[in-house]
Amino acid sequence: MTGIKSTITKLSLAVVAMYGFSYALVPIYDTFCEITGLNGKTNEIAYVANDIKEDNRFVTVKFISNVANSAPLYFEPSVSEMTVQVGKPYNTHYVMKNNSSKQLHTTASPSVTPGKHAEYFKKIECFCFNQQTINAGEVKDLGIQFIIDNELPNDSGDIVLSYTMFDISNNIKETNKL
Amino acid sequence: MSVNIDHLKEEHHQPSGLMRWITTTNHKDIGSLYLWFSLLMFFVGGLMALVIRAELFQPGLQFVVPGFFNQMTTMHALIMIFGAVMPAFVGLANWQLPMMIGAPDMALPRLNNWSFWILPFAFTMLLSTLFFESGGPAAGWTLYPPLSLQGGNSMPFVIFSIHLLGASSILGAINVIATILNMRAPGMTLMKMPIFVWTWLITAFLLIASMPVLAGAITMLLTDRFFGTSFFTAAGGGDPVLFQHIFWFFGHPEVYILILPAFGIVSTIIPAFSRKKLFGYDSMVYATASIALLSFIVWAHHMFTVGMPLAGEIFFMFTTMLIAVPTGVKVFNWVATMWKGSMTFETPMLFALAFIILFTIGGFSGLMLAITPADFQYHDTYFVVAHFHYVLVPGAVFAIIAAVYYWLPKWTGKMYNETLGKIHFWMTTIFVNITFFPMHFVGLAGMPRRIPDYAVQFTDFNMIASVGAFGFGLSQLLFVYILFLTLRQPVTAADKSWEGAEGLEWTLPSPAPYHSFDTPPKVD
Amino acid sequence: MNRLSILIISMLAPLTTLADWEVNMSRGVSPTANAAYDLHMLIFYITVVIGIVVFGVMFYSIYHHRKSKGAKPASFHESTTVEVIWTVIPFVILVGMAIPATKTLIMMEDTRNSEITVKVTGYQWMWKYDYVEDDVSFFSKLADSSNEARQLGSKIDVNKVDNYLLNVDNEMVLPTNTKVRILLTASDVIHAWWVPEITGKKDAIPGYINELWVDIKEPGVYRGQCTELCGKDHGFMPIVVRAVPKQEYTKWVSLNQKNRVADKSK
Repeated sequence: MTGIKSTITKLSLAVVAMYGFSYALVPIYDTFCEITGLNGKTNEIAYVANDIKEDNRFVTVKFISNVANSAPLYFEPSVSEMTVQVGKPYNTHYVMKNNSSKQLHTTASPSVTPGKHAEYFKKIECFCFNQQTINAGEVKDLGIQFIIDNELPNDSGDIVLSYTMFDISNNIKETNKL
Repeated sequence: MSVNIDHLKEEHHQPSGLMRWITTTNHKDIGSLYLWFSLLMFFVGGLMALVIRAELFQPGLQFVVPGFFNQMTTMHALIMIFGAVMPAFVGLANWQLPMMIGAPDMALPRLNNWSFWILPFAFTMLLSTLFFESGGPAAGWTLYPPLSLQGGNSMPFVIFSIHLLGASSILGAINVIATILNMRAPGMTLMKMPIFVWTWLITAFLLIASMPVLAGAITMLLTDRFFGTSFFTAAGGGDPVLFQHIFWFFGHPEVYILILPAFGIVSTIIPAFSRKKLFGYDSMVYATASIALLSFIVWAHHMFTVGMPLAGEIFFMFTTMLIAVPTGVKVFNWVATMWKGSMTFETPMLFALAFIILFTIGGFSGLMLAITPADFQYHDTYFVVAHFHYVLVPGAVFAIIAAVYYWLPKWTGKMYNETLGKIHFWMTTIFVNITFFPMHFVGLAGMPRRIPDYAVQFTDFNMIASVGAFGFGLSQLLFVYILFLTLRQPVTAADKSWEGAEGLEWTLPSPAPYHSFDTPPKVD
Repeated sequence: MNRLSILIISMLAPLTTLADWEVNMSRGVSPTANAAYDLHMLIFYITVVIGIVVFGVMFYSIYHHRKSKGAKPASFHESTTVEVIWTVIPFVILVGMAIPATKTLIMMEDTRNSEITVKVTGYQWMWKYDYVEDDVSFFSKLADSSNEARQLGSKIDVNKVDNYLLNVDNEMVLPTNTKVRILLTASDVIHAWWVPEITGKKDAIPGYINELWVDIKEPGVYRGQCTELCGKDHGFMPIVVRAVPKQEYTKWVSLNQKNRVADKSK
């Protein structure tokens, strides 16, 4: 009988472990993407540009905007593209307007394509690090300061930076993402 | 499956009638419960398929609104996978495994009873959602967010019932492994076990490893919807694609769970009717184990179009192509078993031979799907629907039917009518091809999946498929008739009901006694 | 070679010319669609050959090794040599397939040096097209004629509707012989954008941006559909691309720049 008991104990532990594994996949997914540089995610914490030097390569960065779930927001980049020098910091901003008659809480989610170049697009300051509160009819300039890392491989093409603005008024979180 | 129960009632105060079936801990009774339940669910899921095919008979909407159509496709899959195929294999395991290894019963008989009775409860809950005002689940059985998070009040019930189904499978798997590892008759080493036992042992390990991951994924859906988490919404720092990774990490081993027992059945039936031992027993065991291991590193081939990095696409393309090798090895071994055998073609053998041919065709479309750049054109079209129906219907379902015909004399002591069996076989095989082969064509021609209506150029093949589907459904009524007719026969089956049958179960009388191998047999 | 094999091969050969009878993929009008088609046919032919061999052996055995024919069963049941052979040979065939497949994949995922960029956004249940450099923006949804006909119990004969379910109100216009980069995202749930003759599909995921490229070699009208279940009208949000020579495209752009959807005025 103890053979059966021992089998059952080990298998039950395995079941619990695999259930835990599915939750572990959440941080594993993020870590894996960070380590391998795969995925289109950019840094979520402000980047401090210490070791980056200007080099003589230039990259075209295109700026794209999206509004999720047809929220009543106007959200567009102030310029649709910039040709930037690798290793030099640049500023630009997006414009957001609340077209509704209520105060809204919003947050933006960035995404870069090609995904393999996301790790070289470093944001020194970004409105996407925080949530925004915007009053009815208000217009806001949302700034970003970014720099392209020297490690960018040669012969890479354009980089597209896209933000999707979400209205999260219905599920406000007290903590901001920093 | 009636057995002389009166004698037992005296000795063990065994209940009779309904209470017998509710409280039974006997592996033969529980096996029968699982099999009858699975047959019922096969018809329920089949009815849903006929609603789908009736609507798709012609372009334009004739019978249902699109929202209800999506409920039908979702439920059809959930019922067939979790209600028909998986319980049928568990039923076969229950009936056969103890007898095949010379054990008196499963390791955990009361848990066995519970594992079964969860199912009717869970499926009643699942099917009841179709009658909710907001309707049943309609996001596909794959439940991708954000769409599945838009679901109505059915969502918590669907998730709860899937949790229950998963629990039933996990408990069953624990029982199977505990039985096989601890209760084999002395002398039966692992490499002497019948091949069906091996395939179920490996399947049970797959269940242990994969079902809890599904549980995690659907719990995350639940908390995203109701408890403020954001695993799968970009607004909260999550990613809808993460769900797909977690789901398919379960989902791919799941499809091997749906086929490995079928491989075991075919590997039993072909040798019996070729009167020749299975070719390459050791190789078959290793191939099955390789398939199981590989099944954990191929999952993203279900997600080639999400925008994965190139390295990921290449990795999963290679591993998916690789899994064709052990699968091919198995097919070659079956053919080598037939080669220079002395074959007869009773109904179980017919279904097993059709399995080999038609499952292999499903394997070919699978190989085509593995090629990522080509998959960009196949993905989410009827080409995929054709592929998986070929491996599941003339694959898994044919194997289950073959097993029932094969072991029916052992379970009941009665022989089914061979002529009717052959008619059932031919009708089923012809209609299954009429139903699913045209789906390759419309898929290649550009017809997407999960649509209730289509552009007119897809009409002809859809009509053919719908006719085939109704024919296939009607043919299964013949199967039910054959079963009931058999049960009305006198007991005439020999202990060894088939000339070429091998294995401990054939040393027992037919029908097998209610309690068998109370003392373990000698195995050389 | 037995008669069965000859019969099967001669039956299958004409299938490749049946594209207009819709049993096969179209070869398409762009390099990526062409490459997908060529790879598809290569793998298909390989599987046909394997099928003929394996099923041929099976049918031979079924015929000759029958008890009713007096066959006596042999007793062999294993052979390491044979197992090795039929493991290695398929492996080699797979390597042979993997090489062109990998090359094609790398080519398809290279979006560099595109001339124009169009952002495609999936909505429940329509598409939005934003031409990033050319400043054109509009929604594209199922044409009214199809939408009326597809209602349950509409009694309209769909065979008489123009391009039923594959027609839209505003077509996406693209220039031929131009590498176009298509950016994909969605507003609500996951959709997928697919025009088979132009290129393979990719998912449109809310909050994330995906990309693919097309280079349409021949002018014409190309139709496709959403290919990721996105709710009740998933089957009713088609895509129509009209590919025209560059000059015509430029004219179309200047005509449509005035019809911007987003109001830029503060």
